[in-house]
Amino acid sequence: MNAKWLKFAIANTMRNRRRSLVTVTIAALGTAAILLAGGFALFTYESLAEAQARESGHLVIGKPEQFVKDEETPLQYGLDDVAKLRAQLLTDPQVRSVLPRVDFSGLVSNGDKSVVMIGLGVEPDSEFSVKGPFLTITEGEVLGNGGSGAKGPEIMLGDALARNLKAKPGSSLTLLASTTEGSLNAMDVTVKAVFSTGVPEIDKRLIYTDIATSQKLLNTQKVSSLGVFLSRMEHTDGAQARLAAATPKLTVRTWQDQAVFYRAVKDLYNRIFGALGLIIGIIVVFVVTNAMSMAIIERTREIGTLRAMGTLPRQLLRTLSLEGMVLGGVGAIVGMLVALAVSIFLYTANIQMPPPPGRSVGYPLYVNIDAALYIGTALVMVALTMLASAFVARKTVHMPVVDALAHT
Amino acid sequence: MSAVADSPVVELRGVHKTYRLGTHVIPALQGVDLTVQRGELLALTGPSGSGKSTILNLSGLIDTPDSGDIVLGGQRVNDLTEEARTLLRRDALGFVFQSFNLVPVMTVAENVDYPLFIAGVDAAERKARVAAQLEAVGLQDHAHHRPDALSGGQRQRVAIARALVKRPRLVIADEPTASLDSHTADQVLDLMRERCHAEGAAFVIATHDSRLTGRCDRVVALLDGRLQ
Repeated sequence: MNAKWLKFAIANTMRNRRRSLVTVTIAALGTAAILLAGGFALFTYESLAEAQARESGHLVIGKPEQFVKDEETPLQYGLDDVAKLRAQLLTDPQVRSVLPRVDFSGLVSNGDKSVVMIGLGVEPDSEFSVKGPFLTITEGEVLGNGGSGAKGPEIMLGDALARNLKAKPGSSLTLLASTTEGSLNAMDVTVKAVFSTGVPEIDKRLIYTDIATSQKLLNTQKVSSLGVFLSRMEHTDGAQARLAAATPKLTVRTWQDQAVFYRAVKDLYNRIFGALGLIIGIIVVFVVTNAMSMAIIERTREIGTLRAMGTLPRQLLRTLSLEGMVLGGVGAIVGMLVALAVSIFLYTANIQMPPPPGRSVGYPLYVNIDAALYIGTALVMVALTMLASAFVARKTVHMPVVDALAHT
Repeated sequence: MSAVADSPVVELRGVHKTYRLGTHVIPALQGVDLTVQRGELLALTGPSGSGKSTILNLSGLIDTPDSGDIVLGGQRVNDLTEEARTLLRRDALGFVFQSFNLVPVMTVAENVDYPLFIAGVDAAERKARVAAQLEAVGLQDHAHHRPDALSGGQRQRVAIARALVKRPRLVIADEPTASLDSHTADQVLDLMRERCHAEGAAFVIATHDSRLTGRCDRVVALLDGRLQ
């Protein structure tokens, strides 16, 4: 493309500055809206993905039945001899940590009242060092690996469950659960801490204890599954393939396979923000089409003159499309700058969103700055404005020269 | 001398053209035969609706006849495709309009340069030819001005320079002095005569201006679509 055509197109956009300003403003607002909405969606996806990967591990390894069948007795499909398996998994260069997990359920009682509970046996030291602060400890101190304090086995309680049982750090409770043989077992425990996950329904039921305590309660040496934590999220698929090949009798699932909520939110947001982007795109196309229509009608005689002088219709279509490109391009650049400024402001302003449905805590309003999203949106905006311009120009550049010259 | 060079610049042979306005059929040309020679300054006169502009449009390849032949430089052009006619206009024809029809966002030099630019002439040659044309029409000092900074006479000089810069065989001029005062019109006509003879291009000028017709090489009068 000769720069002279571009210069001509730029000069033409400056003919009616107010109209061009309105067009650029609409394109800029459209671009900024798409980037902010898309950046918020990306932040949400990323947060949910991180939360899920942190909760379950990037990969979860267990017996195949563990993921597809209901157990008839606790840990029926649990893993034996996990020490050897952990050692094998840790030889993979991208595996950062392997954390065992014992899932169990039963009752927790304060002597006066028994409440249904969901228990998780973990290695507390490793769990908290690998996962970071994934729980909010509201009272007491985090469990240690020893699992037993001076008063015996210790647990952490969800805050709603603690309120229900009138328990606080130091309180004695009794756990009741079915063992792997099907008999009932009871164990006295001491409350070490009270926590909140941010989800009230979970905080009503969940307790944490250490692996040894949970295995003792269930009378087994098995664990339910192993959570594999990788050095980077992007290594998930590659590591899954390698670990699946290394452990052919086991199933290796990714965090996404476990993430029902993540997938549901992503599907929902993709549709919402996709529809929003479509609406914005249509508005931009209409505005550009309208602006270019007026510009072309006003210049019909000039187009006739240029045609008379020997300009081919395709050459005129090109320069008129370039006018659309200039308007859309400037709008996209301004929109990107606006979105960038708003995103940076939100990172520094620490504005909190209200808790989403089913949660008790809010979350920070951040908008991701994603290069691919910015470039893609700008390209789409420019392409839309170019196509809109070419669409409205095609009739005029092909009209008979005599008619174009006679246009008033 | 080549056959093309010996041929008349343009010939209209038995040309008929009608226009339709709703149910009305208006005969614009009724069997017109006209030949324009190289370097000739030809004036077409006649009242409004006599067919002057139609002859210009047909000679300038921006319209097609209902019947009869248009021959440009020995080549019958009736059946050319639209693209071929456009390229022939680009390479062989120049236009001067009553309202100048300069592109307002281009400078004087850019307006004059435009026909060479779309013809793909290289930049150095374009620059030299534009400078020469602007000097020939006395506007070398206004090269970087926009058309709206010029007087009517100066704008028409730019239009003449633009029409001649590509060294056309034929220049079509539709009422080129109608928007000018008499003094400026004289100057523009003198310029057209001078450039016509200097460049060897034929000029076909539609005009109502009797002073102008008196200074052309030949005058053809039209009435009701027929040559008088």
